[in-house]
Amino acid sequence: MVILRLAGLALVLVISLLFAVFVGDQGPWYFAWVIGTVMIILISGAGAILFDAQTDDSAESEV
Amino acid sequence: MDLINPTVVDLSRFQFALTALYHFMFVPLTLGLTFMLAAMETVYVVTGRKIYKEMAQFWGKLFGINFAIGVATGITMEFEFGTNWSMYSRFFGDMFGTPLAIEGLMAFFMESTFVGLMFFGWDRLSKPAHLAVTYLVALGSNLSALWILVANASMNVPEGAHFDPETMRMQFDSFVHVVFNPDAQSKFVHTSVAGYVSAALFVMGISAFYILRGQHKQFAARSFRMAALFGIISTVAVITLGDVLGRMDYEKQPTKIAAIEGLWHTSKPPYEPWILAALPDDAKQENHFEIGVPFVLTPLIAHDFNTPITGLHELEDAAEPRIRSGIEAVSALRRYGETHQQADLDIFHAHENDMGYGFLATRHAPGQDVTAIPAAALDQVVQETKPDILPNVFVTFWAFRLMVFLALYFFALFAISSYVSLKNKLERNKLLLRLCMWSIPLPILATEFGWITAEAGRQPWTVFNKLPTFMSASTHSVSYMLFSLAGFAVLYSIFIAAELYLMFKFARLGPEAHDTPHDSATPTHLHAVSSAPAAH
Repeated sequence: MVILRLAGLALVLVISLLFAVFVGDQGPWYFAWVIGTVMIILISGAGAILFDAQTDDSAESEV
Repeated sequence: MDLINPTVVDLSRFQFALTALYHFMFVPLTLGLTFMLAAMETVYVVTGRKIYKEMAQFWGKLFGINFAIGVATGITMEFEFGTNWSMYSRFFGDMFGTPLAIEGLMAFFMESTFVGLMFFGWDRLSKPAHLAVTYLVALGSNLSALWILVANASMNVPEGAHFDPETMRMQFDSFVHVVFNPDAQSKFVHTSVAGYVSAALFVMGISAFYILRGQHKQFAARSFRMAALFGIISTVAVITLGDVLGRMDYEKQPTKIAAIEGLWHTSKPPYEPWILAALPDDAKQENHFEIGVPFVLTPLIAHDFNTPITGLHELEDAAEPRIRSGIEAVSALRRYGETHQQADLDIFHAHENDMGYGFLATRHAPGQDVTAIPAAALDQVVQETKPDILPNVFVTFWAFRLMVFLALYFFALFAISSYVSLKNKLERNKLLLRLCMWSIPLPILATEFGWITAEAGRQPWTVFNKLPTFMSASTHSVSYMLFSLAGFAVLYSIFIAAELYLMFKFARLGPEAHDTPHDSATPTHLHAVSSAPAAH
């Protein structure tokens, strides 16, 4: 199972690299969109997790 | 050759502009909200906190309303190409039809299929599987936009095709050239990210409404935080990518960029100001007054301090040899169509690149036939055709400026909102919250202005430098066009009213009560998060 998972991840890695090389070369702005969108999602999500760390869940707490 | 009634052309343009602008009220929200849902659900899957699931479900409900009505308004536009723009469809159908077909068969079907799974799969799919579905919805909706913009870019910068004098159509050469057309790339990223801004302000504005009313505070504050951060990065990106698109226009569509800048005469670097406000007069070909910022235009457009930007008058003059050459091309093409002599074909190929300018001259030729222009009248026809190469400067100039001013406002709003949210001081800033709430429609307006800039700036062409707009419409009667225009206006207004009613209704109802703790994950996040129950 572990080997299958590793093989799956390796496949994803290879596909990602091929995608990056091909699209990065032929369509740099498409590539920028993929990277940028992932970054926007991650930073937005990180903001939510930071919020959880900053506050408690009570309705009275200041937001 | 009889030209299409100019009133019919104007009504066809107005009808398409109206339906496109109506449709585009829904599109940006769909493009951005799907990725916001994906972000919320990602946090839910990572942390296990149910509140993020409820956020994804609630904002997903509003997305669903927008998606359903957006689809309804989009379908009619595809038929309009056939009904109202049949000459264009015949000339450019191979190029335009292919990306549209892929959009329907691949992206739209993908998006629609996974939308169903996203809405009804919460209790039927595992958490990772549902998250994957949400990402596929987001990808599908943006791929849908990609193919539409690939089609649009091929009208603005027609690459990967050639004109076939046998069939009198543009024919496909290279799919790769069409998909990776630099105009398609820059248009797609700019438009898609503009959708992110729209969605971020939508979520932020409604969350501000809840915080102002003291309702669903925990839910609203988290939504606000995520939207503010989503929005600030997206706004920086949309401004940067707008610059990329401007650069593309500077290289490929100089008349559009000169009209955007209200630049009647070639600029004098490096002093040339960037005009903040002016009253461009298309009839007199001048600006009535100008307020500008010196030393900004040249680096903004050319990305250096030395390159002059060609003005509209000079572009008009530069078109003169192309109009003469285009008249040769169209004349040879016409003769070739009648006699099939190789000599005529050779003449056509020698002047092929200017064919569109020859089509432009037909309006001023005797009997709309460029082969009938007497040698003595040629100069007059060319002089009359020259101003036709320019778009409407007033519309292009102001549509662009309103978009830019709004983008700068969004940047300030998202920056302040992010800061206040990160400091957890939202409730103390009621003015900011009100501003966020009342700003919800503004990104939609900004994207509409962007669309007007792109399309009005492309005029007088449907296919840039190849096919003029006045030759692209169908030969309908004026009454038919008026009737269908009124029908669309009424129908689409009903759609807008339905959307607004449903949005207000469900936004006012709000999410389920979220003001009490839901799950076992403690605020000290990541450790507890990883051990939180995988509640569905």
